Amino acid sequence: MEKKEYIPFGSEEQQEEKQEQVAANIQQLGQTNIPQMAQDTTIHCLTIIGQIEGHIQLPPQNKATKYEHVIPQIVAIEQNPNIEGLLVILNTVGGDVEAGLAIAEMLASLSKPTVSIVLGGGHSIGVPIAVSCDYSFITETATMTIHPVRLTGLVIGVPQTFEYLDKMQERVVRFVTKHSKISEDKFKELMFSKGNLTRDIGTNVVGPDAVQYGLIDEVGGVAQALQKLRQLIEWKKEGGTMLQ
Amino acid sequence: MILYTIMPEHLIFPVDEQAYAKQQVVYYDGIPFLVQETETKEWEIVRNLSTNPAHFLEQKYAPGARFPLSTITS
Repeated sequence: MEKKEYIPFGSEEQQEEKQEQVAANIQQLGQTNIPQMAQDTTIHCLTIIGQIEGHIQLPPQNKATKYEHVIPQIVAIEQNPNIEGLLVILNTVGGDVEAGLAIAEMLASLSKPTVSIVLGGGHSIGVPIAVSCDYSFITETATMTIHPVRLTGLVIGVPQTFEYLDKMQERVVRFVTKHSKISEDKFKELMFSKGNLTRDIGTNVVGPDAVQYGLIDEVGGVAQALQKLRQLIEWKKEGGTMLQ
Repeated sequence: MILYTIMPEHLIFPVDEQAYAKQQVVYYDGIPFLVQETETKEWEIVRNLSTNPAHFLEQKYAPGARFPLSTITS
């Protein structure tokens, strides 16, 4: 059967017009548009990448997650009725404790279902962010470094400063143990263990180990994470309450 | 030269002040972008800050894409 037969009478002109448009696009932009998503997606995605920036602005060549960007976005996600769930993607080396905890608390208090996935690394202050979501995933090869809170660039001169740091660390430990299945003793043991990191204390936890310690819920990738998120959204629609 | 220090690199080798001024966050089509100004007086996208994954599928919002200085909103 000839293809021509399927084209309704009179549509030849329209087709020509369409082709001209595509040609014009190629001439002007050097490319055609890639296909669009059919409708607005109900799942938004927040990426926590690079360093988590604190009060000092990092040089532009650094990849950084800035809390003044992320926090308004979380507020917008909470308010937008079209958004049903949030996927948090982490690949971070850590950074500012206060800024990291702020993001983690914002994610934990979000009323919409949230799922986090650690790709590559979710180190240091990335740990509380990863566990702040309703359900957390880690890929097989991803790692998380757990270590004590420390101050770079300044020398601890007075005991009060040390006490302040100790309290800060206590906040991180409390947050992580509250939002994940790991016990305080186990978390502190990983935090202060010797011999895992060269000339430093702490532990570098790889994907399946993080799940075994109860820090992360499951090993998986983007398919599992989105499936879980859809499941949580369905569950919430049916009137289920969110559990951590 | 090897520097043995716990000081962060950006505190020892501070970056030129002007480097900070080059990039800024603007809204274009209601989407936040990290942009830098080009020689042709346009904004060039450095990073798309949107949380909507659909915005990452459009060529005109991809890093490297440019738009006129006047088209930004708020």
